[in-house]
Amino acid sequence: MISLTINEKEVTLDKPVTVLEAAKQAGIKIPTLCHHDLLKPWSGCRLCVVEVERMPRLQTACTLMAADGMVIKTESEAISNVRRGILEFLLINHPLDCPYCDKAGECELQDLVNKYGPTVGRYKEEKRKVPESHKDQIIARNTERCVMCTRCVRMCNDVQGASAISIIGRGNHSRMEPFSSESFDCEYCGNCLTVCPVGAILSRLYIHSFRPWQVDKEVGTICSYCGVGCSLVVQVRDDSIKRVIPKLGFGLNKGLLCSRGRFGYEYVNSPDRLKTPLVRKNGKLEESTWSEALSIIADKLTEIKGTSGGSAIAGIASPRCSNEDNYVLQKFMRVTCGSNNIDSLSRTGFAAAQKYFEDLLGQGITANIIDGIKNSEVVLVIGGDPTAVNPILGLSIREAARRGASIIVLGHAKGLEKFKTVQVVPPLFKEAEVLEALLVELFRAKGVRAELPFIDKEMRELSEKAAEKMDLPGFDELMKALLNSASTSIVLGMDLIQRTNGHRSLFGVAGITYLLEARLYLLSERPNEQGLIDAGCVPDMLPGGRPMNIPDFKSKFEAAWNGPIPDDDGLTLFEIIEGIKNRNIKALYVMGENPVFNLPGGPFLKDIFGNLDLLVVQDIFLTETAEIADVVLPALGWAEKSGTYTNLERRIQLQKQAVKTSRGMEDWRILSEISGRMGQKMGYLETDDIMREMAKVSPLYADLTYDEIGKGDCLWPYHGKPLRGEMNEVPPVVDAEKDYKADFYLAPEKLLFHSGTLSRKSPALMKICPEPTLKMSAASAGKLGLKEGDRVQFSTTAGSSEAPVSIDESIKDNRVFLSNNFQGSGVMDLLSFSIDEVTKAFGIEGCEVEIKKHGIKA
Amino acid sequence: MENFLLRNIENPNSADINEYLKVGGYKNLTKSLGMKPKDIIEEVKKSGLRGRGGAGFPAAMKWNFATADPKFPKYLLCNADEGEPGTFKDRPILEKNPHLLIEGMVISGYALGSEYGYIYLRGEYPQAKDILNEAIKQAYEKKYLGDDILGKGVKFHLSVYQGAGAYICGEETALIESIEGKKGQPRSKPPFPVNVGAWSMPTIVNNVETLSNVPYIMEIGGDAYSNIGSKDCPGPKLFSVSGYVEKPGVYELPMGISLRDIIYKHAGGIKDSKKLKAVIPGGISTPVLPADGIDCAMDFVSMPKAGSMLGSGAVIVLDESVCMVRVAYRALKFFEHESCGKCVPCREGTDWLRKILERIENGKGSEGDIYLLSDVAGLISGRTFCPLGDGAAGVVTGMIKHFRNEFEEHIKNKKCVVS
Repeated sequence: MISLTINEKEVTLDKPVTVLEAAKQAGIKIPTLCHHDLLKPWSGCRLCVVEVERMPRLQTACTLMAADGMVIKTESEAISNVRRGILEFLLINHPLDCPYCDKAGECELQDLVNKYGPTVGRYKEEKRKVPESHKDQIIARNTERCVMCTRCVRMCNDVQGASAISIIGRGNHSRMEPFSSESFDCEYCGNCLTVCPVGAILSRLYIHSFRPWQVDKEVGTICSYCGVGCSLVVQVRDDSIKRVIPKLGFGLNKGLLCSRGRFGYEYVNSPDRLKTPLVRKNGKLEESTWSEALSIIADKLTEIKGTSGGSAIAGIASPRCSNEDNYVLQKFMRVTCGSNNIDSLSRTGFAAAQKYFEDLLGQGITANIIDGIKNSEVVLVIGGDPTAVNPILGLSIREAARRGASIIVLGHAKGLEKFKTVQVVPPLFKEAEVLEALLVELFRAKGVRAELPFIDKEMRELSEKAAEKMDLPGFDELMKALLNSASTSIVLGMDLIQRTNGHRSLFGVAGITYLLEARLYLLSERPNEQGLIDAGCVPDMLPGGRPMNIPDFKSKFEAAWNGPIPDDDGLTLFEIIEGIKNRNIKALYVMGENPVFNLPGGPFLKDIFGNLDLLVVQDIFLTETAEIADVVLPALGWAEKSGTYTNLERRIQLQKQAVKTSRGMEDWRILSEISGRMGQKMGYLETDDIMREMAKVSPLYADLTYDEIGKGDCLWPYHGKPLRGEMNEVPPVVDAEKDYKADFYLAPEKLLFHSGTLSRKSPALMKICPEPTLKMSAASAGKLGLKEGDRVQFSTTAGSSEAPVSIDESIKDNRVFLSNNFQGSGVMDLLSFSIDEVTKAFGIEGCEVEIKKHGIKA
Repeated sequence: MENFLLRNIENPNSADINEYLKVGGYKNLTKSLGMKPKDIIEEVKKSGLRGRGGAGFPAAMKWNFATADPKFPKYLLCNADEGEPGTFKDRPILEKNPHLLIEGMVISGYALGSEYGYIYLRGEYPQAKDILNEAIKQAYEKKYLGDDILGKGVKFHLSVYQGAGAYICGEETALIESIEGKKGQPRSKPPFPVNVGAWSMPTIVNNVETLSNVPYIMEIGGDAYSNIGSKDCPGPKLFSVSGYVEKPGVYELPMGISLRDIIYKHAGGIKDSKKLKAVIPGGISTPVLPADGIDCAMDFVSMPKAGSMLGSGAVIVLDESVCMVRVAYRALKFFEHESCGKCVPCREGTDWLRKILERIENGKGSEGDIYLLSDVAGLISGRTFCPLGDGAAGVVTGMIKHFRNEFEEHIKNKKCVVS
């Protein structure tokens, strides 16, 4: 225990902290400029000086550790003199362009000068002149206003880990500059904007468009982009979003954001938003009224249910929609339409893996706190780049590396290139073999854990089958690190799941998790992939992860929902597609999803969707799928509606309405309206009504309220009751051995700057990353005689496209990568696929691709 | 007093290991390796050796802090970033007597439990770099460096790291940043380098001259050494005398010798028999002394009492022909150029001072400028991250204190007293 006196106030500390922190705990504010709570002390601005009894000089509070018996004064004439002097120094070269500067009103320098002075300038010399840089499309840099606190540089190096900017020059010639010179070549997290105390780094998204004090309201909500669910603040004026900013220390992201979260909000106001319902008349989508559109849907669904039965109707749920939306959709499908055919595109990744792991290791196995990653000794990264898919989770891995953890990448992860300890590159599409070999070695070293006998048995069998130890560079190092690790985190991306034998990789990961008692994290591209599973948007489970085939559960829901639920498990996503192809499914209801673009074989899907008697799409944009729908319904988007979302760590969070619009209707309200017209009244007036019902009927959401969720730490298992050990047998291994001898294979890439539908309508993200590139290793480019930026044509059996080449040092094999984010040139259209019999996800490995330099004839 | 640090430097081949061996070189290493490391430190403690870089910190105390830290490896860094204007005292050791430094470093490394040494060499000493590298090569060949020094199982490796020309890298924490490959800027202390230094390991940073004194202490013993020169800070001291004297150069003299004796007895007095105006006694960062202030003992303890500091022992002698405003301006131009930019008062203040001085020097000063200079110097002094800013402020304050009339002349009559 440390006791000290600050401004005659007794302060007692539990643990050693700086004087600055001790004062903060005592409610005493010491002025700072270079200090920031997210950063390590710098002690450059010298504003935080304090008087310490028996110390000859003034001391900087940000670096001085509080010691027992210290007597400190934070304000005195001498201290004020120092602060006034420092501020005078900072102002001599400052342009004093406050009337023009966007920071005015929230400028830390302005506030400090207001408090400490000086009131007049004594500097007669010419000020430093550095022209404002507008070369970058997103970030405006005004070096004349810069106070050289280096917060931006420290943020970029020590927290974000991008190391894209630096202070160049020395002394009074110093200035902040990106290494890429005028414009930024960085991750565009914008966290430098957050920490800049003055108007030196500003976002061009809102520059000169408003004053900080002109904001009507600030709404604390969560981000709409990925499965992390970062907290952020939406600043609104006249029902329009002016700016999205983080709040220091707020939410699981603690004040950090990524490019999508910070700059990707403009899609909300996109002119391309759907405004009215559209109905296909004479083969053309025409503007219609809500009442006409809803009646057409209700009548058609009733007709199909009557003639072909509920099983001829299928629904696709949305990982972009809230728990409430998804809950209402599955209830609508199950009770109103009489069909368990409800699934989502999460089946192709997150949901498939999640189910596999929960079946094997018990519910809640993936419910791990992101922040905990940084305390791991080993982080094993498999099947994706966390820093692109879930950037804020990626930051925890980088922090773990800084704290001395071994970061092991199986495959490649560009964002971890500077942080990885070992990279193990599996032979092409043989990740499952590597994971199995790893599991066998670990099993041999660790022995039977004897908690889940069927997994032990399976591992023993694998180990008996396995012959030689795998001879792969880095493999031994990986083994050693895992065996010596007391705390392991495994971060699994979706790339390995999207394989014909993806389940084998999943067993490998499950086994390693089990043997090492590791924490497992599933990367999640969409904000509510976990939530839609929990809400019941899976064909075999009711809300709360209750299996359909246990009659007790089913009857309880039937009673609560006031209607029968079909007995059999419904169809999974690809079974639904198969059903559409075979004309067994006659109506497809798509909520907030774009299967034609987001699934492989788009042209094929487009074709068979023509078989449907009714295709309904509700979305905020006219997507590729909406374009071929019979009825299109405009929904409300992020910031326009409220609801809860469940992130990848299974934290339930509240997304709040920030702006009002008459453009569309909430997804749940649309469904509720149709349900009413079909004779099944749902009776929801607001989302609260849905939450109350969920809290009553879902064993997982028992007793949950918005109040509790709003506090931000609504963590698994809430007050709910998870099921454990539902399975006692490992699903059989199905395998298709194949050799991969082609020169190049095409694979999907996940981009940091894009998510797809939303991001491509966000001008800022389109400026940062305007077009797709074909990413390949330096070796592949060399083989093809290509250099960075060369345009190439490439084709697969499914189609062809063109893009410029981008060389990625982290890629070590002969795969080439294309994203699925840009209209008309998504990778999915070029991929053929098969289905993993166990997880029912698609397998897209081994897609051979021919690449030619643009303009060169074969 | 017989030269030790500069022993044999008249020999044109003094940097060669064989010449060094001829005058008894490396015998102190052999002797030291027969001793226990802690006994060597004890000997250094008895000697009263103080760091020769400028601060005068007791060497043995620093060493004891470092050995008390249980972390390994420990690094021994030789600060050869001799950048203080007026200072060139280490240069003869580096260029003429490199084996003395190497011997001192090996003995020190052995005493400290350090197996890795680096000489952080000033960027502007290219000849020294070649000479040191050649000397290190020779020392390896003769097993004075390596994994098994003189067959005693002692390991010490040494290499030269050349700076890029920043004055601030003479500050030990900035030196460490630089040797780690980062921009040279000082670090917060604590933690001190003896605990968390280069690559976060215990690190001892000693000046070239300090380390070169170690073999001498081992040769004559700590007690004998402590009887040389001043009682509180004994030993031989190198003084680099420059400016308006008959015989500028580096002199090895006992610590505590009077400044007057250095100038008149050793450096031959003022050039062309002109009148002495002022002396900057320890490098540009130390406050100027007027002509009547030179009867002071040149050591770390006495100089502050005389109104200045010993600093690096770089005696800059200025005669009656020198304009003190110009000296101040030239000094501030240096400080402004060398300010690393980390802290506000130094970064902005040195530039401002330089601009005011430039104005006064060019006859564009105005009334109130002397007050402004003093005030701005006051806003810097005691408020900077490291002593660089204090040095800059001290020059201005000192010049105004002793030569205010020259500033007034420049401002009021737009002319210089000496022209």
